Amino acid sequence: MIEAHSLTKRYGAKTAVDAISFTARPGLVTGFLGPNGAGKSTTMRMIVGFDRPSSGSVTVNGKPYAEHRAPRHQVGALLDAKAVHAGRSARNHLLTIATTHRIGTKRVDEVIGMTGLESVARKRVGGFSLGMGQRLGLAVALLGNPATLILDEPVNGLDPEGVAWVRVFLRSLAAEGRTVFLSSHLMSEMAQTADHIIVLGRGRVIADAPVGDILARAGGDIVRVRSPEVVRLTAILTAEGGAMTSAEPDLLSVAGISARRIAELAAGAGIAVYELTPIAGSLEDAYMSLTRSEVEYQTTQSRAGENR
Amino acid sequence: MSSTATKVFTPSGHDLGFGGILWSEWVKLRSIRSTWWLYGMLVAVTVGLGAQMSSSHGYNNEELEPEGVQALGVFATTVSTDFTGLIVSVLAVLFIAGEYGSGMISTTLTSVPRRLPALLGKALVFAVATFAVSAVAVAIAIPLSVAVLSGTGIDIDLGDPLYWRAQLGVVLYLVLTGLIAFEIGAILRSTAGGIAVALGLLLAAPIAFGLLTLGSSQVWIQNVQALLPTELGKALFSHPGRWELIAPGMPMEQAPAELWVLEPWQAGFLLLAWVIALLAVAATLLKRRDA
Repeated sequence: MIEAHSLTKRYGAKTAVDAISFTARPGLVTGFLGPNGAGKSTTMRMIVGFDRPSSGSVTVNGKPYAEHRAPRHQVGALLDAKAVHAGRSARNHLLTIATTHRIGTKRVDEVIGMTGLESVARKRVGGFSLGMGQRLGLAVALLGNPATLILDEPVNGLDPEGVAWVRVFLRSLAAEGRTVFLSSHLMSEMAQTADHIIVLGRGRVIADAPVGDILARAGGDIVRVRSPEVVRLTAILTAEGGAMTSAEPDLLSVAGISARRIAELAAGAGIAVYELTPIAGSLEDAYMSLTRSEVEYQTTQSRAGENR
Repeated sequence: MSSTATKVFTPSGHDLGFGGILWSEWVKLRSIRSTWWLYGMLVAVTVGLGAQMSSSHGYNNEELEPEGVQALGVFATTVSTDFTGLIVSVLAVLFIAGEYGSGMISTTLTSVPRRLPALLGKALVFAVATFAVSAVAVAIAIPLSVAVLSGTGIDIDLGDPLYWRAQLGVVLYLVLTGLIAFEIGAILRSTAGGIAVALGLLLAAPIAFGLLTLGSSQVWIQNVQALLPTELGKALFSHPGRWELIAPGMPMEQAPAELWVLEPWQAGFLLLAWVIALLAVAATLLKRRDA
């Protein structure tokens, strides 16, 4: 359980985190989403006490992090996978952490196995790829078998297999009654992992809702349909009230009709369908529309007209 | 959300403890190569220079009074501190500032969120390890030096407690100097900056004061100079026969009354004062600053 109350961090005149309040509950994967520079990492650093809040407070499992008697068993954090001395082996790195809480070498070897680091465990961390470093960061977070996990961009640099593994693994950790709090700047990633999403933009919470609600806010799904009989299918779907765009001769993007209904209609008309994909593009759109005005580093548009 | 009495995971395991922190810092110290290189150099330089100085034939051993002989024995094993003081300082800065340079500090502070026990544990592990290694180095250098000196006709009286006091002084000097550098590293949080300042204190400051005292006979400058760690070290492991060694048979030069002449124990406490003062600064900053 993570509870933030009016949590604020100012650096000089710049407000990185602006009086945010939120709760991440046990048993759920809570996604912390926002563009780069929105204040996600700063918030996470305040949760584990690296940075002192300018005002407000945040507790983990009922107490400020530093007041726990066994911090590593309460919280497993992956805030910076590079927080490792390059000259030390992965196993020794884990041992430096395990020893503080008298965690045995058995558990150290266990998390090495869980994160697939067996073959490199005794190599110096300096030679690790981004993905291996990320796995080591996850191993550190898991070491204390903690009740709460705080992970900043945990799949950053992982290969697709690793991403899928993390996704399943985090869901299983939440199912055991743990609090899983992870950040990302990619909505699509969150949509597949999180139960609840908190969207941060320029230091403020701009959405805090179950994934389903955020989806609903996007105004319906888009379904990608591939078929040899696009023209006939378009006619049927239009009659059903769908809106369509077509990027390729055999490809349709359908808004306003569920994938299931499209399949039924196509089957009823005897139309072959090669592909039927509900896509997260609409999620991205929802996210973009939520954060458009909140992006700190915009590319070309002028910010002049904005009312902030 | 439709939360149907979600179960909550209850963590189990040992609490964070100072013993664990010490063990952790020991793992950190021994799992870095530079530790072994630098401690190896410390032993090699202490033993090597000790033997080399003992074998030099430039001494007027015919004319030396027993006091001077003892001071010569002390000189042979303490002369290396000019270098070994630098070696422990570099190691000390690497040990603490390396945490900041690598980002390891955030991992450390996640394990020890109250912060101060981590700093104290690290300093303690460094002090104990440096004490042990320095003691081993001196313990090898002494019999070697005594044997080599004996070969040139100079016999050290090993029953002289002041000889042993000076040898212990070397070990304490290396531990305390190392701690000063450790704290400089903790305050500056930068390996390069920490090494620069530590070496400035040990190398450049004595030279600068040497030039100042050349150009002026102000006693207070010499008194301030006497408070530098290197000068305190010399006082800490001095032997009363030193004058006899420098100028055999000459009457001892009378120092001006205002000039501080520090006893070894006073010098030791002043070095300790450096350590405590800088530790207070490092601890305060560690508590206050964002990691």
